[in-house]
Amino acid sequence: MLLAHAVTLAEARSYVAALADAALTTDASIEYDRVLLQIDFIHGDYIPGISRVPVTDRDVLFEVAESAIEDLARHGIDSLTVELVLDMLWAARELDAP
Amino acid sequence: MYGETSGMLREALGELLRQHRIQHRIGGAGLHTVPETTTPEERKGIGEQIARYRYAVLVWSHQAMRAAGPRINLEGSTGRTRGPAEELRYRLEATLATIEVNLPTMDELVTEQPFALVDTWRQAARACVLGEHDFANGVGYGRISEAQCLTVIKDAADVVRAVVSLDRRYANIPGWQGLKEPGRLGRAADTCATWAGYGDPDYTVDLRGWNPEPTLIEGPGLPGVTGVLQAQHNLLVHLGTVPTAHNLRVVLDSQRIVSRETARRLQTVDPTVAVRWERRAETYGRLVHETRDLGGMVGNGAHAAGQGSVAAVRMEKLDRGGLSDAPQVRRLQRVSAGVDDRICNVIEHGIGQRLYFQRINVPGLDDHNGELIRVTRQKFVPITSPVQTELLAIVRSDLRPTPIQRKAPRGAAQSRLDFEAALHHRPPPRGASPDVPSI
Repeated sequence: MLLAHAVTLAEARSYVAALADAALTTDASIEYDRVLLQIDFIHGDYIPGISRVPVTDRDVLFEVAESAIEDLARHGIDSLTVELVLDMLWAARELDAP
Repeated sequence: MYGETSGMLREALGELLRQHRIQHRIGGAGLHTVPETTTPEERKGIGEQIARYRYAVLVWSHQAMRAAGPRINLEGSTGRTRGPAEELRYRLEATLATIEVNLPTMDELVTEQPFALVDTWRQAARACVLGEHDFANGVGYGRISEAQCLTVIKDAADVVRAVVSLDRRYANIPGWQGLKEPGRLGRAADTCATWAGYGDPDYTVDLRGWNPEPTLIEGPGLPGVTGVLQAQHNLLVHLGTVPTAHNLRVVLDSQRIVSRETARRLQTVDPTVAVRWERRAETYGRLVHETRDLGGMVGNGAHAAGQGSVAAVRMEKLDRGGLSDAPQVRRLQRVSAGVDDRICNVIEHGIGQRLYFQRINVPGLDDHNGELIRVTRQKFVPITSPVQTELLAIVRSDLRPTPIQRKAPRGAAQSRLDFEAALHHRPPPRGASPDVPSI
């Protein structure tokens, strides 16, 4: 895994985890955790750890997470797989609506 | 289980203790109204057969004394240094060393004998052969409590008392090989039984021992809550092997969903139980949170993850009134408690054996961008290291189910009381009918 890929992956993981923590409903939190599990499943075990993110606004968290997941396609991840993860993310977002 | 096998043995020996006029029972001369049906040579063969069965009973007693006694080796001990249990074990070893017959073969154990008396001995020997497995599967010193050890010792001593008592009764069988020094063996057994019977017995030992391994419930998915039970049961079986960190996370996530959906469906049916399921869901939620950075590639657990996901999906698809059957809810609780217990063991084992690690980002030096510290480097550290998460605390304090205070099985005390009564049983006086009270 190259450094750029690792940075993108770390960003995606950290922001999805932050979304799970900040979710308004438990169902949404569960769905975000599923997204995280799916990202980890795609990459195997050698993945960077989750770090604290500087924002708390859920809209910003979602935008950054979505963009980081989209960027994974530029690091050798199959586009269809990325689309499926994005679909899971949007499904979680729908459950997180206030 | 120990209770089943030792109960079978007591039942068979109790029946033998109530049988007198042994020659008559193996076709010999006894009553003048009943003709003799076997020759002395045949009765000698029957006696040898009984001796083989008796040998199996004595071997079981010796194994029980060894399993429940704290001393491994009695070599070098003397009569003064041996306690009641050690003395009985010593006497048993001396007796077994002098017996010149072999253990009964499998054919002899499974083939029904023509005489009821010999067949009862066969049942006793069968129970002993089955009971051997119990001592290697949980019935042993260190794995059971002190009171349970004493109960096993008392059971074995009572069995030896019965064998000694029967030995005297069988002396008239042609070619019968009596026990060596039956008086000393009997005294040692009496003393040991009295000593072990001082305190309150703990018959919960009857629940220990060998049990058949649980097997998968194969086949297509069952409808309704039975399908959830099927998947949860299969998950429990598959958790017998350690899962990888990722599969463990999937299992934890599935249990959170199962608990949450169960709590939802029980809100109207049984709010008290629903609260417990809510608590379980919340605990699993915290575990999912704490294991986000758990790493570890040792193990497998793909089947466990699959069954966990199946259980979660089936529970999500279950209709709102799907949990109105109280016995099914209890079964779900029981199997889920088993899953909790197994997950606790898996996590503790994985952490203790360093199969699971905590993934952390450590500050790394970077000379190129003008700043000294950047959070870029990734490192795996043992969870027992100073970088600790709440994982172990949650497992130990919240997830692990409270141990169930098991009750002794029904009939455990009665079986022993019946056997004690058979040991002290005396034959009715000559000429008296057992069914008619004598005047």
